[in-house]
Amino acid sequence: MLEVRGLAKHFGGVRAVDGIDFAIRPGEIFGLIGPNGSGKSTTVNLVCGLYEPTAGQILFEGQDIARVPTHKRLALGLARTFQNIRLFANLTVWENLWMAENAPAHQAGTSFLKRWVGGRSDARERITRALEFSGLAHRADDLAGSLAFGEQRRLELARALAAKPKLLLLDEPAAGMNAGEIAQLDERIRALQGQGYTILLIEHHMELVMAVTDRVCVLNFGRKIAEGTPAEVQADPAVREAYLGTA
Amino acid sequence: MSDFAVGLISNIGMITFVALSAYLLLVSGSISFGQQAYFGLGAYAAGIATTLWDWPLALGLAFGALTGALGGGLVGALTRRLHGLYFAIATLAFAEMTRLALDLWRYQRPIGGELVGPDGPNGFAGIRRAFTDGWEPLSFMILIWVLLAGTMLVLILFERSRSGAALRGAGEDPVLARALGTDVARLRVNTAAAAGAIAGLGGGLYAHLNTYIEPRLFDVMLGVHALAYGIIGGLGTAFGPLIGVLIDIGILESSRLFQGWRMVVFGGLVALLLIWRPRGLLDEATVRRLRRLFTTPARHA
Repeated sequence: MLEVRGLAKHFGGVRAVDGIDFAIRPGEIFGLIGPNGSGKSTTVNLVCGLYEPTAGQILFEGQDIARVPTHKRLALGLARTFQNIRLFANLTVWENLWMAENAPAHQAGTSFLKRWVGGRSDARERITRALEFSGLAHRADDLAGSLAFGEQRRLELARALAAKPKLLLLDEPAAGMNAGEIAQLDERIRALQGQGYTILLIEHHMELVMAVTDRVCVLNFGRKIAEGTPAEVQADPAVREAYLGTA
Repeated sequence: MSDFAVGLISNIGMITFVALSAYLLLVSGSISFGQQAYFGLGAYAAGIATTLWDWPLALGLAFGALTGALGGGLVGALTRRLHGLYFAIATLAFAEMTRLALDLWRYQRPIGGELVGPDGPNGFAGIRRAFTDGWEPLSFMILIWVLLAGTMLVLILFERSRSGAALRGAGEDPVLARALGTDVARLRVNTAAAAGAIAGLGGGLYAHLNTYIEPRLFDVMLGVHALAYGIIGGLGTAFGPLIGVLIDIGILESSRLFQGWRMVVFGGLVALLLIWRPRGLLDEATVRRLRRLFTTPARHA
Protein backbone atom coordinates (compact mmCIF):
# COMPACT_ATOMS: atom_id res chain seq x y z
CA MET A 1 0.00 0.00 0.00
CA LEU A 2 2.49 2.62 1.21
CA GLU A 3 6.20 2.08 1.18
CA VAL A 4 8.80 4.57 2.29
CA ARG A 5 12.42 4.10 1.22
CA GLY A 6 15.35 6.04 2.61
CA LEU A 7 13.05 8.98 3.34
CA ALA A 8 14.85 12.03 4.68
CA LYS A 9 13.95 15.61 5.46
CA HIS A 10 16.53 18.09 6.67
CA PHE A 11 15.71 21.60 7.84
CA GLY A 12 19.02 23.38 7.51
CA GLY A 13 21.29 21.35 9.77
CA VAL A 14 18.46 19.59 11.58
CA ARG A 15 17.85 16.08 10.36
CA ALA A 16 14.18 15.78 11.32
CA VAL A 17 13.81 12.57 9.36
CA ASP A 18 17.05 10.86 8.47
CA GLY A 19 16.60 7.94 6.12
CA ILE A 20 13.72 5.79 7.30
CA ASP A 21 12.11 2.76 5.66
CA PHE A 22 8.81 1.08 6.37
CA ALA A 23 6.02 -0.56 4.43
CA ILE A 24 2.33 -0.64 5.27
CA ARG A 25 0.28 -3.59 4.04
CA PRO A 26 -3.26 -3.19 2.76
CA GLY A 27 -5.85 -3.43 5.53
CA GLU A 28 -3.55 -3.10 8.50
CA ILE A 29 -3.29 -0.51 11.24
CA PHE A 30 0.31 0.60 11.29
CA GLY A 31 1.55 2.59 14.27
CA LEU A 32 4.27 5.21 14.09
CA ILE A 33 5.54 6.14 17.53
CA GLY A 34 8.50 7.80 19.14
CA PRO A 35 9.40 10.44 21.72
CA ASN A 36 8.80 14.14 21.06
CA GLY A 37 10.84 15.43 18.15
CA SER A 38 11.54 11.98 16.79
CA GLY A 39 10.20 12.83 13.33
CA LYS A 40 6.70 11.35 13.35
CA SER A 41 4.84 14.45 12.27
CA THR A 42 7.48 15.31 9.70
CA THR A 43 7.00 11.86 8.22
CA VAL A 44 3.24 12.40 7.93
CA ASN A 45 3.78 15.80 6.35
CA LEU A 46 6.11 14.22 3.82
CA VAL A 47 3.63 11.48 2.97
CA CYS A 48 0.74 13.89 2.47
CA GLY A 49 2.88 16.38 0.61
CA LEU A 50 3.13 19.40 2.88
CA TYR A 51 6.91 18.99 2.76
CA GLU A 52 9.10 17.90 -0.10
CA PRO A 53 11.62 15.23 0.96
CA THR A 54 15.35 15.94 0.94
CA ALA A 55 15.92 12.37 -0.22
CA GLY A 56 14.13 9.07 -0.59
CA GLN A 57 11.02 7.65 -2.16
CA ILE A 58 7.39 7.47 -1.11
CA LEU A 59 5.69 4.66 -3.02
CA PHE A 60 1.91 4.60 -2.91
CA GLU A 61 0.45 1.57 -4.66
CA GLY A 62 3.76 1.21 -6.46
CA GLN A 63 3.92 4.79 -7.75
CA ASP A 64 6.52 7.24 -6.43
CA ILE A 65 4.50 10.20 -5.19
CA ALA A 66 7.30 12.13 -3.46
CA ARG A 67 6.93 14.98 -5.95
CA VAL A 68 3.22 14.85 -6.67
CA PRO A 69 1.71 18.24 -5.69
CA THR A 70 -0.10 18.30 -2.35
CA HIS A 71 -3.54 18.99 -3.79
CA LYS A 72 -3.39 15.90 -6.00
CA ARG A 73 -2.63 13.44 -3.21
CA LEU A 74 -6.12 13.36 -1.77
CA ALA A 75 -7.44 12.17 -5.12
CA LEU A 76 -4.85 9.38 -5.10
CA GLY A 77 -6.44 8.09 -1.90
CA LEU A 78 -4.38 9.66 0.89
CA ALA A 79 -6.31 11.53 3.55
CA ARG A 80 -5.22 12.74 6.96
CA THR A 81 -6.24 14.34 10.19
CA PHE A 82 -4.13 16.96 11.93
CA GLN A 83 -2.47 16.88 15.32
CA ASN A 84 -3.70 20.38 16.08
CA ILE A 85 -7.25 20.50 14.83
CA ARG A 86 -7.44 22.25 11.48
CA LEU A 87 -10.89 23.12 10.26
CA PHE A 88 -12.44 25.94 8.29
CA ALA A 89 -14.12 27.76 11.17
CA ASN A 90 -16.12 30.03 8.85
CA LEU A 91 -17.55 27.18 6.80
CA THR A 92 -20.37 24.95 7.96
CA VAL A 93 -19.74 21.38 9.03
CA TRP A 94 -21.31 20.31 5.76
CA GLU A 95 -19.11 22.59 3.65
CA ASN A 96 -16.00 21.39 5.47
CA LEU A 97 -16.79 17.88 4.31
CA TRP A 98 -17.90 18.97 0.86
CA MET A 99 -14.51 20.52 0.16
CA ALA A 100 -12.72 17.28 0.86
CA GLU A 101 -15.35 15.16 -0.79
CA ASN A 102 -15.02 16.49 -4.28
CA ALA A 103 -11.49 15.29 -4.81
CA PRO A 104 -11.98 11.66 -5.82
CA ALA A 105 -10.68 10.92 -9.27
CA HIS A 106 -14.02 10.00 -10.81
CA GLN A 107 -15.09 13.62 -10.54
CA ALA A 108 -11.86 15.25 -11.59
CA GLY A 109 -12.76 15.53 -15.26
CA THR A 110 -16.34 16.73 -14.96
CA SER A 111 -17.18 20.35 -15.55
CA PHE A 112 -17.93 22.86 -12.85
CA LEU A 113 -21.61 23.01 -13.76
CA LYS A 114 -22.02 19.27 -13.77
CA ARG A 115 -20.33 18.89 -10.43
CA TRP A 116 -22.49 21.62 -9.03
CA VAL A 117 -25.80 20.36 -10.31
CA GLY A 118 -25.42 16.64 -10.83
CA GLY A 119 -22.67 15.79 -8.38
CA ARG A 120 -24.67 16.99 -5.44
CA SER A 121 -26.89 14.02 -4.73
CA ASP A 122 -23.97 11.62 -4.89
CA ALA A 123 -21.89 13.89 -2.68
CA ARG A 124 -24.80 14.41 -0.33
CA GLU A 125 -25.15 10.72 0.29
CA ARG A 126 -21.49 10.18 1.06
CA ILE A 127 -21.23 13.23 3.27
CA THR A 128 -24.36 12.21 5.14
CA ARG A 129 -22.84 8.80 5.79
CA ALA A 130 -19.58 10.32 7.04
CA LEU A 131 -21.57 12.64 9.32
CA GLU A 132 -23.61 9.81 10.74
CA PHE A 133 -20.51 7.70 11.38
CA SER A 134 -19.04 10.61 13.35
CA GLY A 135 -22.25 11.48 15.19
CA LEU A 136 -22.40 14.98 13.71
CA ALA A 137 -25.51 14.75 11.53
CA HIS A 138 -27.44 17.18 13.73
CA ARG A 139 -24.73 19.86 13.36
CA ALA A 140 -24.43 19.77 9.56
CA ASP A 141 -25.53 23.39 9.10
CA ASP A 142 -23.55 24.92 11.96
CA LEU A 143 -20.27 26.72 11.46
CA ALA A 144 -17.34 24.45 12.28
CA GLY A 145 -15.95 27.14 14.56
CA SER A 146 -18.96 26.76 16.85
CA LEU A 147 -18.36 23.06 17.56
CA ALA A 148 -17.06 21.74 20.86
CA PHE A 149 -13.54 20.32 20.96
CA GLY A 150 -14.57 16.68 20.77
CA GLU A 151 -16.95 17.42 17.90
CA GLN A 152 -14.18 19.21 16.02
CA ARG A 153 -11.98 16.14 16.31
CA ARG A 154 -14.79 13.97 15.01
CA LEU A 155 -15.35 16.38 12.15
CA GLU A 156 -11.69 16.06 11.18
CA LEU A 157 -12.11 12.31 10.98
CA ALA A 158 -15.37 12.63 9.07
CA ARG A 159 -13.65 14.94 6.60
CA ALA A 160 -10.88 12.45 5.98
CA LEU A 161 -13.49 9.73 5.42
CA ALA A 162 -15.55 11.88 3.06
CA ALA A 163 -12.62 11.74 0.63
CA LYS A 164 -12.95 7.92 0.50
CA PRO A 165 -9.24 7.38 1.08
CA LYS A 166 -7.37 4.12 0.67
CA LEU A 167 -4.89 5.12 3.34
CA LEU A 168 -5.92 7.15 6.34
CA LEU A 169 -3.25 9.06 8.26
CA LEU A 170 -4.27 9.83 11.82
CA ASP A 171 -1.88 12.32 13.42
CA GLU A 172 -2.26 12.01 17.21
CA PRO A 173 -6.04 11.63 17.22
CA ALA A 174 -6.12 11.03 20.99
CA ALA A 175 -4.37 14.29 21.91
CA GLY A 176 -6.39 16.13 24.53
CA MET A 177 -8.98 13.37 24.90
CA ASN A 178 -10.14 11.87 28.19
CA ALA A 179 -10.25 8.14 28.91
CA GLY A 180 -13.85 7.77 27.80
CA GLU A 181 -13.24 9.54 24.53
CA ILE A 182 -10.14 7.45 23.90
CA ALA A 183 -12.18 4.28 24.37
CA GLN A 184 -14.63 5.59 21.75
CA LEU A 185 -11.75 6.43 19.43
CA ASP A 186 -10.38 2.93 19.88
CA GLU A 187 -13.73 1.52 18.74
CA ARG A 188 -13.94 3.91 15.78
CA ILE A 189 -10.45 3.01 14.57
CA ARG A 190 -11.28 -0.69 14.70
CA ALA A 191 -14.58 -0.07 12.93
CA LEU A 192 -12.69 1.72 10.17
CA GLN A 193 -10.35 -1.22 9.77
CA GLY A 194 -13.43 -3.42 9.54
CA GLN A 195 -14.69 -1.21 6.69
CA GLY A 196 -11.49 -1.91 4.78
CA TYR A 197 -9.41 1.19 5.46
CA THR A 198 -5.66 0.96 5.85
CA ILE A 199 -4.53 3.22 8.67
CA LEU A 200 -1.29 4.92 9.63
CA LEU A 201 -1.64 5.92 13.28
CA ILE A 202 0.75 8.41 14.81
CA GLU A 203 0.17 8.50 18.52
CA HIS A 204 1.64 9.35 21.88
CA HIS A 205 -0.94 7.47 23.87
CA MET A 206 0.76 4.09 24.26
CA GLU A 207 -2.21 2.13 25.53
CA LEU A 208 -4.18 3.03 22.42
CA VAL A 209 -1.28 2.19 20.10
CA MET A 210 -0.65 -1.15 21.77
CA ALA A 211 -4.36 -2.00 21.71
CA VAL A 212 -5.28 -1.25 18.10
CA THR A 213 -2.19 -1.52 15.89
CA ASP A 214 -1.09 -4.60 13.98
CA ARG A 215 2.49 -3.44 13.62
CA VAL A 216 4.48 -0.55 14.99
CA CYS A 217 7.51 1.38 13.79
CA VAL A 218 9.46 3.29 16.43
CA LEU A 219 11.40 6.44 15.55
CA ASN A 220 14.02 8.28 17.57
CA PHE A 221 15.98 11.31 16.39
CA GLY A 222 14.70 10.84 12.85
CA ARG A 223 15.79 7.22 12.57
CA LYS A 224 13.95 3.95 12.86
CA ILE A 225 15.01 2.05 15.97
CA ALA A 226 12.52 -0.82 15.94
CA GLU A 227 9.66 -2.36 14.02
CA GLY A 228 7.34 -5.25 14.77
CA THR A 229 4.16 -6.24 16.56
CA PRO A 230 3.24 -4.15 19.62
CA ALA A 231 4.48 -6.95 21.90
CA GLU A 232 7.82 -7.26 20.10
CA VAL A 233 8.39 -3.54 20.14
CA GLN A 234 7.54 -3.24 23.82
CA ALA A 235 10.14 -5.84 24.65
CA ASP A 236 12.84 -4.19 22.53
CA PRO A 237 15.66 -2.78 24.69
CA ALA A 238 16.38 0.07 22.23
CA VAL A 239 12.77 1.23 22.52
CA ARG A 240 12.88 1.08 26.32
CA GLU A 241 16.01 3.14 26.27
CA ALA A 242 14.52 5.77 23.96
CA TYR A 243 11.45 6.18 26.14
CA LEU A 244 12.85 5.71 29.62
CA GLY A 245 16.42 6.90 29.29
CA THR A 246 18.37 3.76 30.15
CA ALA A 247 17.18 0.20 30.17
CA MET B 1 -37.26 60.75 -9.55
CA SER B 2 -34.97 63.72 -8.98
CA ASP B 3 -31.69 64.00 -10.86
CA PHE B 4 -29.91 63.91 -7.54
CA ALA B 5 -31.50 60.59 -6.60
CA VAL B 6 -30.82 59.05 -10.01
CA GLY B 7 -27.19 60.13 -9.87
CA LEU B 8 -26.80 58.87 -6.32
CA ILE B 9 -28.38 55.47 -6.99
CA SER B 10 -26.30 55.05 -10.16
CA ASN B 11 -23.18 55.94 -8.24
CA ILE B 12 -23.94 53.44 -5.48
CA GLY B 13 -24.42 50.74 -8.13
CA MET B 14 -21.16 51.46 -9.94
CA ILE B 15 -19.05 51.69 -6.81
CA THR B 16 -20.54 48.41 -5.61
CA PHE B 17 -18.83 46.71 -8.56
CA VAL B 18 -15.39 47.73 -7.24
CA ALA B 19 -16.47 46.78 -3.72
CA LEU B 20 -17.57 43.33 -4.93
CA SER B 21 -14.25 42.96 -6.72
CA ALA B 22 -12.29 43.67 -3.53
CA TYR B 23 -14.71 41.52 -1.54
CA LEU B 24 -14.16 38.47 -3.73
CA LEU B 25 -10.44 38.70 -3.07
CA LEU B 26 -10.99 39.30 0.65
CA VAL B 27 -13.07 36.12 0.83
CA SER B 28 -10.21 34.24 -0.85
CA GLY B 29 -7.87 35.58 1.84
CA SER B 30 -6.12 38.25 -0.24
CA ILE B 31 -6.11 41.93 0.60
CA SER B 32 -5.82 43.88 -2.64
CA PHE B 33 -5.21 47.61 -2.71
CA GLY B 34 -5.36 47.54 -6.48
CA GLN B 35 -8.90 46.82 -7.64
CA GLN B 36 -9.33 50.45 -8.74
CA ALA B 37 -6.88 49.70 -11.56
CA TYR B 38 -9.25 47.20 -13.17
CA PHE B 39 -12.14 49.61 -12.72
CA GLY B 40 -9.98 52.13 -14.60
CA LEU B 41 -8.85 49.66 -17.26
CA GLY B 42 -12.48 48.66 -17.82
CA ALA B 43 -13.49 52.31 -18.11
CA TYR B 44 -10.79 53.08 -20.66
CA ALA B 45 -11.28 49.87 -22.65
CA ALA B 46 -15.06 50.24 -22.85
CA GLY B 47 -14.76 53.93 -23.73
CA ILE B 48 -12.24 53.27 -26.49
CA ALA B 49 -14.30 50.42 -27.91
CA THR B 50 -17.54 52.40 -28.21
CA THR B 51 -16.06 55.80 -29.03
CA LEU B 52 -13.02 55.15 -31.20
CA TRP B 53 -13.95 51.80 -32.69
CA ASP B 54 -17.66 52.45 -32.85
CA TRP B 55 -18.64 49.22 -31.10
CA PRO B 56 -22.15 48.89 -29.68
CA LEU B 57 -22.51 49.63 -25.98
CA ALA B 58 -23.04 46.02 -24.93
CA LEU B 59 -19.86 44.88 -26.68
CA GLY B 60 -17.96 47.82 -25.26
CA LEU B 61 -19.01 46.94 -21.72
CA ALA B 62 -18.08 43.30 -22.32
CA PHE B 63 -14.71 44.42 -23.63
CA GLY B 64 -14.22 46.50 -20.49
CA ALA B 65 -14.95 43.48 -18.30
CA LEU B 66 -12.63 41.32 -20.41
CA THR B 67 -9.81 43.86 -20.11
CA GLY B 68 -10.34 43.96 -16.35
CA ALA B 69 -10.24 40.16 -16.27
CA LEU B 70 -7.00 40.05 -18.28
CA GLY B 71 -5.40 42.68 -16.05
CA GLY B 72 -6.58 41.00 -12.88
CA GLY B 73 -5.62 37.54 -14.12
CA LEU B 74 -2.15 38.67 -15.18
CA VAL B 75 -1.40 40.34 -11.86
CA GLY B 76 -3.02 37.38 -10.09
CA ALA B 77 -0.74 34.96 -11.93
CA LEU B 78 2.34 37.00 -11.06
CA THR B 79 1.37 37.28 -7.39
CA ARG B 80 -0.18 33.84 -6.86
CA ARG B 81 2.46 32.78 -4.34
CA LEU B 82 2.44 36.04 -2.38
CA HIS B 83 0.47 36.34 0.82
CA GLY B 84 -0.65 38.99 3.27
CA LEU B 85 1.35 42.17 3.24
CA TYR B 86 3.44 41.14 0.22
CA PHE B 87 0.36 40.54 -1.88
CA ALA B 88 -1.18 43.83 -0.75
CA ILE B 89 1.93 45.82 -1.67
CA ALA B 90 2.27 44.06 -5.02
CA THR B 91 -1.33 44.82 -5.98
CA LEU B 92 -0.89 48.46 -4.99
CA ALA B 93 2.30 48.68 -7.06
CA PHE B 94 0.62 47.22 -10.14
CA ALA B 95 -2.36 49.54 -9.73
CA GLU B 96 -0.14 52.61 -9.47
CA MET B 97 1.84 51.44 -12.50
CA THR B 98 -1.40 51.20 -14.43
CA ARG B 99 -2.52 54.66 -13.35
CA LEU B 100 0.83 56.24 -14.19
CA ALA B 101 0.91 54.49 -17.55
CA LEU B 102 -2.55 55.88 -18.33
CA ASP B 103 -1.15 59.30 -17.42
CA LEU B 104 1.40 58.91 -20.21
CA TRP B 105 -0.78 57.21 -22.79
CA ARG B 106 -2.21 59.07 -25.78
CA TYR B 107 -4.41 57.36 -28.33
CA GLN B 108 -6.53 59.87 -30.18
CA ARG B 109 -8.38 60.00 -33.43
CA PRO B 110 -10.32 62.76 -35.15
CA ILE B 111 -14.03 62.05 -34.88
CA GLY B 112 -16.53 64.63 -36.12
CA GLY B 113 -13.80 67.24 -36.52
CA GLU B 114 -12.25 66.94 -33.05
CA LEU B 115 -9.63 64.69 -31.51
CA VAL B 116 -11.17 62.04 -29.27
CA GLY B 117 -9.47 59.43 -27.10
CA PRO B 118 -7.25 59.07 -24.05
CA ASP B 119 -5.03 62.11 -23.71
CA GLY B 120 -2.70 61.32 -20.82
CA PRO B 121 -3.38 63.35 -17.67
CA ASN B 122 -6.04 65.38 -19.53
CA GLY B 123 -8.21 62.30 -19.49
CA PHE B 124 -10.60 60.89 -22.02
CA ALA B 125 -13.64 63.01 -22.83
CA GLY B 126 -16.60 62.49 -25.11
CA ILE B 127 -17.60 58.92 -24.28
CA ARG B 128 -21.12 59.59 -25.43
CA ARG B 129 -22.15 56.26 -26.85
CA ALA B 130 -24.77 55.55 -24.20
CA PHE B 131 -26.54 58.86 -24.73
CA THR B 132 -26.32 58.89 -28.53
CA ASP B 133 -27.89 55.42 -28.35
CA GLY B 134 -30.82 56.93 -26.49
CA TRP B 135 -30.09 55.97 -22.89
CA GLU B 136 -31.47 58.42 -20.34
CA PRO B 137 -29.95 58.82 -16.88
CA LEU B 138 -32.91 56.93 -15.46
CA SER B 139 -32.78 54.00 -17.89
CA PHE B 140 -28.99 53.87 -17.51
CA MET B 141 -29.44 53.69 -13.75
CA ILE B 142 -31.72 50.70 -14.27
CA LEU B 143 -29.13 49.12 -16.59
CA ILE B 144 -26.47 49.51 -13.89
CA TRP B 145 -28.66 47.84 -11.31
CA VAL B 146 -29.74 45.02 -13.61
CA LEU B 147 -26.09 44.22 -14.33
CA LEU B 148 -25.23 44.55 -10.65
CA ALA B 149 -28.06 42.23 -9.66
CA GLY B 150 -26.89 39.72 -12.26
CA THR B 151 -23.32 39.89 -10.97
CA MET B 152 -24.46 39.45 -7.39
CA LEU B 153 -26.70 36.54 -8.31
CA VAL B 154 -23.77 34.77 -9.96
CA LEU B 155 -21.58 35.46 -6.93
CA ILE B 156 -24.21 34.20 -4.50
CA LEU B 157 -24.79 31.02 -6.50
CA PHE B 158 -21.05 30.52 -6.76
CA GLU B 159 -20.60 30.93 -3.02
CA ARG B 160 -23.10 28.19 -2.39
CA SER B 161 -21.24 25.84 -4.72
CA ARG B 162 -18.43 23.52 -3.79
CA SER B 163 -15.90 25.84 -5.44
CA GLY B 164 -17.30 28.70 -3.38
CA ALA B 165 -16.69 26.71 -0.22
CA ALA B 166 -13.18 25.96 -1.48
CA LEU B 167 -12.55 29.67 -2.08
CA ARG B 168 -13.60 30.62 1.43
CA GLY B 169 -11.66 27.69 2.84
CA ALA B 170 -8.51 28.58 0.92
CA GLY B 171 -8.84 32.10 2.31
CA GLU B 172 -8.95 30.80 5.84
CA ASP B 173 -6.22 28.15 5.68
CA PRO B 174 -4.51 27.70 2.31
CA VAL B 175 -2.33 24.84 3.55
CA LEU B 176 -5.34 22.86 4.69
CA ALA B 177 -7.19 23.64 1.47
CA ARG B 178 -4.26 22.21 -0.50
CA ALA B 179 -4.21 19.10 1.66
CA LEU B 180 -7.92 18.72 0.90
CA GLY B 181 -7.36 18.69 -2.83
CA THR B 182 -7.78 22.34 -3.84
CA ASP B 183 -5.23 23.75 -6.27
CA VAL B 184 -4.93 26.99 -4.33
CA ALA B 185 -2.57 28.75 -6.76
CA ARG B 186 -4.92 28.17 -9.69
CA LEU B 187 -7.93 29.18 -7.63
CA ARG B 188 -6.23 32.45 -6.73
CA VAL B 189 -5.46 33.29 -10.36
CA ASN B 190 -9.05 32.54 -11.41
CA THR B 191 -10.40 34.60 -8.54
CA ALA B 192 -8.19 37.54 -9.45
CA ALA B 193 -9.41 37.36 -13.05
CA ALA B 194 -13.07 37.21 -11.97
CA ALA B 195 -12.54 40.12 -9.58
CA GLY B 196 -10.89 42.08 -12.41
CA ALA B 197 -13.86 41.39 -14.68
CA ILE B 198 -16.34 42.63 -12.09
CA ALA B 199 -14.38 45.84 -11.53
CA GLY B 200 -13.93 46.26 -15.30
CA LEU B 201 -17.67 46.01 -15.91
CA GLY B 202 -18.31 48.69 -13.30
CA GLY B 203 -15.62 50.86 -14.90
CA GLY B 204 -17.25 50.60 -18.34
CA LEU B 205 -20.56 51.73 -16.88
CA TYR B 206 -18.83 54.58 -15.06
CA ALA B 207 -17.16 55.83 -18.25
CA HIS B 208 -20.43 55.84 -20.18
CA LEU B 209 -22.47 57.53 -17.48
CA ASN B 210 -19.96 60.31 -16.86
CA THR B 211 -18.71 60.55 -20.50
CA TYR B 212 -15.38 61.70 -19.07
CA ILE B 213 -12.65 59.78 -17.25
CA GLU B 214 -9.12 60.59 -16.21
CA PRO B 215 -6.35 58.53 -14.59
CA ARG B 216 -6.47 60.19 -11.19
CA LEU B 217 -10.07 59.01 -10.66
CA PHE B 218 -8.60 55.55 -10.29
CA ASP B 219 -6.12 56.25 -7.52
CA VAL B 220 -5.58 54.25 -4.38
CA MET B 221 -8.36 55.96 -2.39
CA LEU B 222 -10.93 54.20 -4.55
CA GLY B 223 -9.25 50.87 -3.81
CA VAL B 224 -9.09 51.58 -0.08
CA HIS B 225 -12.78 52.44 -0.05
CA ALA B 226 -13.57 49.28 -2.01
CA LEU B 227 -11.83 47.21 0.68
CA ALA B 228 -13.53 49.12 3.47
CA TYR B 229 -17.00 48.49 2.02
CA GLY B 230 -16.59 44.74 2.34
CA ILE B 231 -15.18 45.07 5.83
CA ILE B 232 -18.08 47.28 6.95
CA GLY B 233 -20.87 45.40 5.23
CA GLY B 234 -19.51 41.96 5.96
CA LEU B 235 -17.63 39.12 4.32
CA GLY B 236 -20.32 36.49 4.84
CA THR B 237 -22.29 37.26 1.68
CA ALA B 238 -22.07 39.33 -1.49
CA PHE B 239 -24.70 41.65 0.00
CA GLY B 240 -22.05 42.80 2.47
CA PRO B 241 -20.16 45.13 0.11
CA LEU B 242 -23.46 46.60 -1.13
CA ILE B 243 -24.42 47.43 2.44
CA GLY B 244 -21.01 49.02 2.96
CA VAL B 245 -21.51 51.24 -0.09
CA LEU B 246 -25.05 52.12 1.01
CA ILE B 247 -23.78 53.19 4.41
CA ASP B 248 -20.95 55.29 3.02
CA ILE B 249 -22.35 56.85 -0.15
CA GLY B 250 -26.02 56.43 0.62
CA ILE B 251 -25.96 57.83 4.14
CA LEU B 252 -22.67 59.51 5.00
CA GLU B 253 -22.02 61.26 1.71
CA SER B 254 -25.48 62.05 0.44
CA SER B 255 -27.02 63.25 3.67
CA ARG B 256 -24.26 65.81 4.27
CA LEU B 257 -24.88 64.85 7.87
CA PHE B 258 -21.25 65.17 8.82
CA GLN B 259 -20.15 67.47 6.00
CA GLY B 260 -16.38 67.89 6.18
CA TRP B 261 -16.21 65.23 8.87
CA ARG B 262 -17.42 62.45 6.58
CA MET B 263 -14.02 60.79 6.11
CA VAL B 264 -13.35 61.01 9.84
CA VAL B 265 -16.64 59.29 10.60
CA PHE B 266 -16.02 56.72 7.87
CA GLY B 267 -12.52 55.93 9.12
CA GLY B 268 -13.78 55.66 12.68
CA LEU B 269 -16.53 53.32 11.56
CA VAL B 270 -14.03 51.03 9.84
CA ALA B 271 -11.75 51.03 12.90
CA LEU B 272 -14.63 50.26 15.27
CA LEU B 273 -15.92 47.46 13.09
CA LEU B 274 -12.48 45.90 12.81
CA ILE B 275 -12.41 45.66 16.60
CA TRP B 276 -16.03 44.75 17.19
CA ARG B 277 -16.82 42.62 14.13
CA PRO B 278 -13.65 41.82 12.21
CA ARG B 279 -15.59 40.18 9.38
CA GLY B 280 -18.17 42.98 9.09
CA LEU B 281 -21.84 43.40 9.86
CA LEU B 282 -22.96 40.43 7.79
CA ASP B 283 -20.30 37.94 8.82
CA GLU B 284 -20.59 34.20 8.21
CA ALA B 285 -22.31 33.46 11.51
CA THR B 286 -24.90 36.20 10.96
CA VAL B 287 -25.57 35.04 7.41
CA ARG B 288 -26.13 31.54 8.77
CA ARG B 289 -28.60 32.81 11.35
CA LEU B 290 -30.46 34.91 8.80
CA ARG B 291 -30.63 32.05 6.34
CA ARG B 292 -32.09 29.84 9.02
CA LEU B 293 -34.85 32.37 9.60
CA PHE B 294 -35.88 32.22 5.96
CA THR B 295 -35.41 28.56 5.09
CA THR B 296 -36.68 25.37 6.62
CA PRO B 297 -34.05 23.76 8.84
CA ALA B 298 -32.37 20.40 8.34
CA ARG B 299 -31.81 20.80 4.63
CA HIS B 300 -29.15 18.11 4.56
CA ALA B 301 -30.42 15.72 7.16
